[in-house]
Amino acid sequence: MEISEERGDGAMVMAPSGRLDSVTSNELEKHVVARIDAGDRRLVLDMAGVEYISSAGLRVLLMAAKRLKDPPAALVLCGLGPSVRTVLELAGFLPLFVIVPARKDALARLRGGA
Amino acid sequence: MNLLRLRIEPADGVPFLRDLDRPELVLGRSSKTDVVINDRFLSRVHARIVQRGDEWLLEDMGSRNPTRLNGQPVMSPSALKAGDVILLAESRVIVEGPGGAVAPPADTAGLPAQSDDTLRGSTIFRSASTFFAPEAVAAEVKDPLARSLAERLKFLNEVHRALAGPITLEALLELILERAFAHLQPDEGAVFLRRADGGFDRAASRRLPGASGDLLYSRRLAEEVADKGMAALVTDAGIDERFARAESIVVSGVRSLVAAPLLASEGSHGMIVLSARQRARPFGEEDMELLAALASAAALRIRNLALAEETAQRRLLDKELDLARDIQMGMLPRAFPTSPELGIAATLRPARTVGGDLYDVVEEGPHVWFIVGDVSGKGVGAALFMAVTKTLFRAIAPGEASVGAALTRLNRELARDNERSMFVTAFAARLDRPSGTLEYTNAGHSPTYRLEAGGSIGTLPGPVDPALGAVEEHEYRTSVVRLDPGDGLVAYTDGVVEARNAAGGELAPAGLEAYLRGCGDARPEAIVRGLVEKVEEFAGETPQYDDVTVLALRYRAGA
Repeated sequence: MEISEERGDGAMVMAPSGRLDSVTSNELEKHVVARIDAGDRRLVLDMAGVEYISSAGLRVLLMAAKRLKDPPAALVLCGLGPSVRTVLELAGFLPLFVIVPARKDALARLRGGA
Repeated sequence: MNLLRLRIEPADGVPFLRDLDRPELVLGRSSKTDVVINDRFLSRVHARIVQRGDEWLLEDMGSRNPTRLNGQPVMSPSALKAGDVILLAESRVIVEGPGGAVAPPADTAGLPAQSDDTLRGSTIFRSASTFFAPEAVAAEVKDPLARSLAERLKFLNEVHRALAGPITLEALLELILERAFAHLQPDEGAVFLRRADGGFDRAASRRLPGASGDLLYSRRLAEEVADKGMAALVTDAGIDERFARAESIVVSGVRSLVAAPLLASEGSHGMIVLSARQRARPFGEEDMELLAALASAAALRIRNLALAEETAQRRLLDKELDLARDIQMGMLPRAFPTSPELGIAATLRPARTVGGDLYDVVEEGPHVWFIVGDVSGKGVGAALFMAVTKTLFRAIAPGEASVGAALTRLNRELARDNERSMFVTAFAARLDRPSGTLEYTNAGHSPTYRLEAGGSIGTLPGPVDPALGAVEEHEYRTSVVRLDPGDGLVAYTDGVVEARNAAGGELAPAGLEAYLRGCGDARPEAIVRGLVEKVEEFAGETPQYDDVTVLALRYRAGA
């Protein structure tokens, strides 16, 4: 798995790619936590490059959402492929996240909420 | 009487030798003295050496810079012996026994000052060459170079033999220091081993009685020796710039230091450092080479011990995980409520890694509650979350108005203080035995199959709520179906459909459904056993990383 990061429009965009399994999820978790701890309050997770997500990967998404809820901020997911979407759906997690089609939508969403 | 000679190392000139060949020798800067030493800080007439009976006495002659013998000011005539070092201003005079090596020119330190077996007195002042040349060898091999090589081989052979047997790390380090002390005669010595964080621990140390001050360690030395893998020879740490700048070095009184890395194929494990404050002669290159050879022999052994320890620790961890697994398995019920209306069976086949599957069955009057769950992730964290979930379900469910209400409470408990955002997917249900009414909630779990009496199969309909523990406040919904006599239910975890075979294929829902279609009116025990066998058969020798959990029930008839 690789994680690319890009900052723009006052938001931090993180794009993991490859498999988000129990091993690689820990890596993503570290990155996300580091960003949030460093003060990033608007986070976009672009999942376009993610081929597979396990329950461990879902846990990281939940953790990010929870961390950004208090104080209020925003986590937006975008670029969900069918398999990632299905896993989120099966776990009953679709309603728990703000999900938009593409990165530009995510950034627009975060701007709108500013 | 002692036959002695002097090796003079002038501050401003090349070293030279002078035998004590007359009853009195005056040393000084003046050309009128017997031993003229080129050192601008020297007094014209600085000191003298006089014969008295069997002894040679060193006497200061009122010099501006007092004469020192082995570091101590010479206040009164002091007897000399081989190995002594006289300091005259900035020049050094080394007292040698007969047959001493001729000093190569222009070398300032570390020349092997030869001595003989007429040596007496303190170990501290013996020159290192005596350790390479015990009497036996010294008698046979006259050539100093050959003698030192022969001795070095003998020494290394000894070390290798000593290291060959089974040995603990502590004993190994003790042995290394013991050998180093026997052959190199330092005042102090220590082995520093690298920690995981890159720092160093003083793993073993040794000090001569009376040696004062702390053992030498400096970050600078560690960088040069342990990090870069260089052997180091510092002939006077007090004035050597490289080490004088170091932060933590103890410079006072340090005269000589030799260090070698514990170098193995994959890098350095640390270093061994010897220092001498009161040694007659600074360490020489020979000493450094010998220490480096000793260190490399030791490093290989240290590496093997480290590997063995790692293996032992992993084994211990495995054992603890096995224990966690046993406790986890012990929490799961093996016996199930039996009643004329209902047969129920369940099993959990653990994966190699500790996972977090769970099931439970709880009776409450005419009702039977049950749950099948799968905690996110693996390992001890998942096992603990599983234990908490199962315990809470058993405590909360009986008495709740609906399955949704029970899971709403269970979820609230799990989500509270759930810093790591762990969650558990679950299918939970309550069957009213007299009526066959089944209430159920799917919290992010795989769909449960209904096996109809007629032989057709299908999944239970209804919404999917979030897995438990994910969000603190969520109202879980309840779905209801009515089972007909003869109907069966099969709930399971991902380990079933995600079972992998050698070709990388998954059993998948299709494989599960094919099996379930063939179940007919089989009893729950047979369905559970058969499905686990099906998974095992499919997976073959391929290791499975997910627990496999199956719960089956057969509703027979209403009251």
